[in-house]
Amino acid sequence: MYELLFAAIGNVAQAKYLVPLACGTLAGVVGGALPGVTITMTIIVVLPFTFGLDPLQGLAAMTGVYVGGSAGGLITAVLLGIPGTPSAIATTFDGHPMARKGEPGRAVWLGVWASFFGGLLGGVFLIGATEPLARIALEFGPWEFFSLFVLALSMVAGLVGTSLLKGLIAGMLGLMVTVLGSDPVMGQERLTLGIPALAGGIDFLPVLIGVFAFSQIMGDLERHGAAAHASAAIRAASLAASQLKVIWEILSRPFLLLWSSFIGVVIGVLPAIGGSAANVMAYDQAKKFSRRPEKFGSGIPEGIVASESSNNANVGGSLVTIMAFGIPGDAVTAVMLGALTIHGIQSGPLFISQNAQLAYGIFAAYLLAHPIMVLILAVMARWILRIVTVPKAALFPVVLVLCVIGAYALNNTMANVYILLAFGLLGYAMVKSGFPLAPFILGVILGDQIEINLVRAIMTDANPWLFLTRPISGGLLLASILSFAAAVWQHRRAKRREGESVEADF
Amino acid sequence: MLSRDGWGGLVAAAASLLLFWLTLGLKDNPLVPIGPGFYPRIVLGLTALLSLGLLVSDFFAKKPPRHEARANYFAVALHFAVFGLYVAALPALGFRIATFAYVAAANALMDRPRGAKGWARVALIASATALATWLVFERELLVLLPRGRWTDF
Repeated sequence: MYELLFAAIGNVAQAKYLVPLACGTLAGVVGGALPGVTITMTIIVVLPFTFGLDPLQGLAAMTGVYVGGSAGGLITAVLLGIPGTPSAIATTFDGHPMARKGEPGRAVWLGVWASFFGGLLGGVFLIGATEPLARIALEFGPWEFFSLFVLALSMVAGLVGTSLLKGLIAGMLGLMVTVLGSDPVMGQERLTLGIPALAGGIDFLPVLIGVFAFSQIMGDLERHGAAAHASAAIRAASLAASQLKVIWEILSRPFLLLWSSFIGVVIGVLPAIGGSAANVMAYDQAKKFSRRPEKFGSGIPEGIVASESSNNANVGGSLVTIMAFGIPGDAVTAVMLGALTIHGIQSGPLFISQNAQLAYGIFAAYLLAHPIMVLILAVMARWILRIVTVPKAALFPVVLVLCVIGAYALNNTMANVYILLAFGLLGYAMVKSGFPLAPFILGVILGDQIEINLVRAIMTDANPWLFLTRPISGGLLLASILSFAAAVWQHRRAKRREGESVEADF
Repeated sequence: MLSRDGWGGLVAAAASLLLFWLTLGLKDNPLVPIGPGFYPRIVLGLTALLSLGLLVSDFFAKKPPRHEARANYFAVALHFAVFGLYVAALPALGFRIATFAYVAAANALMDRPRGAKGWARVALIASATALATWLVFERELLVLLPRGRWTDF
């Protein structure tokens, strides 16, 4: 394993791979720093640029975006008090007060180095856990895969959003998209609604791009207009700080760093929850374990370290699920899954054994992206702060043009662009109606696999009880029932509390 | 009176029931014991049930008055319309002309230009976007972009 890893590091360190990795990391840092532009949108923008590259170059660029974006969000979180990405929400709690107290450089660099160490700890998990987990998944038959995908979908439907019913409907709507066009087992046409372009089914990438890009851009436009986030404060901020002192401040809190990274990794492994939950949970845990919880929120380093180490460790966890099981941990890894399919590579348990060079290349790119991210912030922070003030009126149309290229270039057909627009409208309508997007997207991605494994299982043995009596399959289905029950309990408790707080107001 | 949840449930139920009805006409494949309509019927049936559940729960729910922040839906509708025109124009005008026109229109609508300098900025952003994306994708990455049916450009 280590031989392969060191060989992959040597390979990715060549200019051929290092340049896309560095460009991706830079794009991630900038995209992450721009308020209102998430890592998902950044990776969607970067996707078309990877079409002309070889698979490892493209995936290195995307890994760079993921790592850079997770760290980039902290810049505006600290300097403006506006998280650049949802994964930097908790960074604002202590980062911004520290900056306001006259230490913006210390706050930013605490975040950068915490991201670096948290990310590397996530990398240790990624490298150590992917292969054993993939080996376990290799023992799975269609029953187990069906149950695993059902578990992933039920967890996401239950954990995101405020309404369990809406989460479930969103997941089912995602599955509905996959029944249109063609039967994935025999390729027989079905439910094409008389539209010839639907005959081959719907590619999930235009759906994903449309749903995420439009819901975000139109949502932003609806709330804030297209005004720039120009701020004298951000331009005038000095990011000077003693690096050794900052590194010592982090490493002198080893339990905090390890625990926050662990939370990040665990949340990353769970499908579609992502860094936005990881950083808040890690912050909350840091506060609970602290000897001075009352100081949290006043600008103390613990808050920044917990938030930033967890959101970068989360990246490692998300990559594990996609590489071992073929289940995207979040929207960013869903786009990476799309990039793999464009190059004809099937992710899942066989991925690491059949594409060892590529898999270890991704590990190497992940590890190298961290020092590159630190280097980019050290050298280019001043320019990045200027880019952050770009007016959205100039930015948004360019992003949408890149989305069109990304959708069109998949098959060089306008059909994908029409799908992009249609699902852009649907995504915006879903967000406005309070339907969460994560279960919908996971449904679109897993739909074909759920059907293929269900049909294969029934064709192998028509006894439906096998789904329950095979130990792993039964265990996974039991876990989905438990996760569903936990979600029901959680939603009821939240509603009761809501009711109590309303009564208290009277 | 239905709220957004109710309308969402109604639309989802109608769509899933319509598709469910269409699956009844699907012919079985002699090679596979389970027909192509087997799985869609499970998915669509469950979707219809859940959507009807949402509709019914919304119908009987007490609805407190909503206090929504003011939202600029006109800007959203306008930008969807402009983007729709862009998508419609792409096969006719080709990538470069349609992109120039779209970026200029969207930019001008989002941040109205003031004076000649403002319009020059809009033109610069639009032409730079159209040219740079075309150069990077067609020339460097060899990704073919749409050609115009009317312009052959």
